[in-house]
Amino acid sequence: MRSRILLALLAVLLLPPARALAAPDPFKLKPGADGKVCLGCHSGELDPVLKKPFVHTPVKSRNCVGCHSPHAANHGKMLADEPGKICASCHDVVPAKPKSTHEPVESGCTTCHDPHASNFKNNLVKAPQDLCAGCHKPVLQTATDAKFKHYPVQQDCTTCHDPHGSASSASLLKSAVPQLCVGCHKMNRPNLVAKHQGYPVATARCTACHDPHGSNVRGMLYDHVHPPVAKAMCGQCHEPPGSPKGFQPKLAGVALCKGCHAQKVNSMLDRNRVHWAVLGGDSCLGCHSPHAGKDKGMVKGNMVTVCGACHADTIKRQALSETKHKPISDGQCTKCHDPHGSSAPLLLVKPDAIELCGTCHDWQKHSTHPLGPSHKDPRNQNLTLNCLSCHRAHGTEYKHMNPFPTTTELCTKCHASFRR
Amino acid sequence: MSTSMKSALALLLLCAAPAARADIALVSRGPVYADAKAVPFQAPEGVACSDGGLVVADTGNGRLVRFDWKDGVVSGGTEIKLAQLTYPIRLQLDSKGDLLVLDRRAKRIARLDPKGAFQGWVDPKGAANVVPLAFKVDAADALYVLDQTSGSVLVLDASGAVTRTVPLPKRPAIFVDLAVDGAGTIYALDAAGSEVWSVEKAGAEFKPLSKGLKDAMSFPSYLTTDGKGALLVSDQNGNGIVLLGIDGSYLGRRLSIGWSEGAVYYPVQLCLTPSGELAVADRGNNRIDLFTVTR
Repeated sequence: MRSRILLALLAVLLLPPARALAAPDPFKLKPGADGKVCLGCHSGELDPVLKKPFVHTPVKSRNCVGCHSPHAANHGKMLADEPGKICASCHDVVPAKPKSTHEPVESGCTTCHDPHASNFKNNLVKAPQDLCAGCHKPVLQTATDAKFKHYPVQQDCTTCHDPHGSASSASLLKSAVPQLCVGCHKMNRPNLVAKHQGYPVATARCTACHDPHGSNVRGMLYDHVHPPVAKAMCGQCHEPPGSPKGFQPKLAGVALCKGCHAQKVNSMLDRNRVHWAVLGGDSCLGCHSPHAGKDKGMVKGNMVTVCGACHADTIKRQALSETKHKPISDGQCTKCHDPHGSSAPLLLVKPDAIELCGTCHDWQKHSTHPLGPSHKDPRNQNLTLNCLSCHRAHGTEYKHMNPFPTTTELCTKCHASFRR
Repeated sequence: MSTSMKSALALLLLCAAPAARADIALVSRGPVYADAKAVPFQAPEGVACSDGGLVVADTGNGRLVRFDWKDGVVSGGTEIKLAQLTYPIRLQLDSKGDLLVLDRRAKRIARLDPKGAFQGWVDPKGAANVVPLAFKVDAADALYVLDQTSGSVLVLDASGAVTRTVPLPKRPAIFVDLAVDGAGTIYALDAAGSEVWSVEKAGAEFKPLSKGLKDAMSFPSYLTTDGKGALLVSDQNGNGIVLLGIDGSYLGRRLSIGWSEGAVYYPVQLCLTPSGELAVADRGNNRIDLFTVTR
């Protein structure tokens, strides 16, 4: 009896608030009956479980009814409630108002944890690194392949990330950048001060330049580094260190970039249609990182994210579309659109739709339908037939990017004699 | 150039909007496809109209085309080709019949006399590096310019001097057009957020007028008032015209995607005549669509 009390106390201490364990026994089991009764039938399954090094406290205490209903249940595996709710009754691990939450926390704790026992600490179903790699393989692969590795990544993702949720930061970070980084990297160390040219980087966002998961560039800068950064020529764009203006660039907007990229900028501006982002908002910095980036051109992220910041409706249309257009799925908006400017509407890289679509699709194999400048669109004397006569490139709610609910409806727009 | 007169065709059912203004229907009067020499339009983005005239910004061909438009019949089609205007996208007529043209390549507004002769650029005096994205003219010929550089609406008097600056809201938004009504209220259209903002004649800052219209329109491109209590929004990517009350209320949607007459494909500028005719620069269809507005 004493041992049970001690176990219960331990559970309270380890798993606050242990409401389920502390609750009065609703089944009025005879003394010593709990667990033992279950094991009478389930010993074959549970004996190997109980031998594992990390056993879930209720299992260890044979309190099976802490999670399972012994007679009947509305939930699978005769659970007393929905799985997540059962876990949450003891494990209050998700912040009340999280800035970020780990998706498996929403979908089910058993994605990562074994509710009975495990060979790994915290009842994880796999070794921590292997477990994270199950979903985050590219990140872990990059970290493994990186020439310059970040020590904590080699140890355990939870050094920096809270696997359940973060009350303070995005990306499940235990605290915001740079506070998280400066916890280990003392920014007043002479070598770090020298590396950063004396700029007050202790308050800057480290991940604007450094890849925290490792990289192939010395200093763990992202793989694509802006040459002035690589050459430690911060003063080319910024006021000198110690300036009362802090990190403020010497010039605002496109004027600063034009200092080096005059030819590129001039060619952009010399087009019929200049992308709004080139002239508006933060100009170049609306899409590009000024220091370093994972992707070519130092684009701030996947194009679906970067372009979707303004063109959310268009991205959403693809998401809702029954048929997906691969370049959008792959985040390759620039396959069709020039992000700086174009002489064609919609900033298309080629004004001719057949030529543009033909860069990926061999339409002559795709269809025997007449297409091209010699075939007038029967619906409109000013149009000739092209791919966009029948398809919408960002998708529709109908199959094959069809603008109309059925193929019949589409075809009979022109072939009216077949209309019923 | 031919303009077919069609029998009355109500294009979409009226929605159950609360106000009487929602009883607006558009009856197709057929499109205009080409100039007097049968040179077809190429991606036209601008259109300006008055009782008696219609001017088209034939953007893809880098020219303007002037028509007569009387009793619903479009005739003529004289080309205006100017070295200064290679990519005209927006047109406005002032009270004297002068034509104001925004050229997207030049990033400037040109003034043409009623015969189409170039009179000069309207460069705002008192503001630097202005990049006009859109503009409107009011009854007193004051010019309202949506300036991308300063992120504000500049109000210019007849001499081009800036008399008032109203900053656009500092938030993630892409303001693409503005409108001004008879009371002097300025409306601004945010394409990314599908929202309309407004500021009264004496106001200092824009306030949200209509919010949450993402389900009603997708990357709208143009905004105008009908002078009778409604705002017309050209729903560019959604392919239609959205009607809003001047209080921001959603009144309904007209037209739909298509290539046949009466439908639109990437519509841009709209213009209304005092007698209730509507012209739509139908960029994707390479034509100007004409409608009669019935109430």
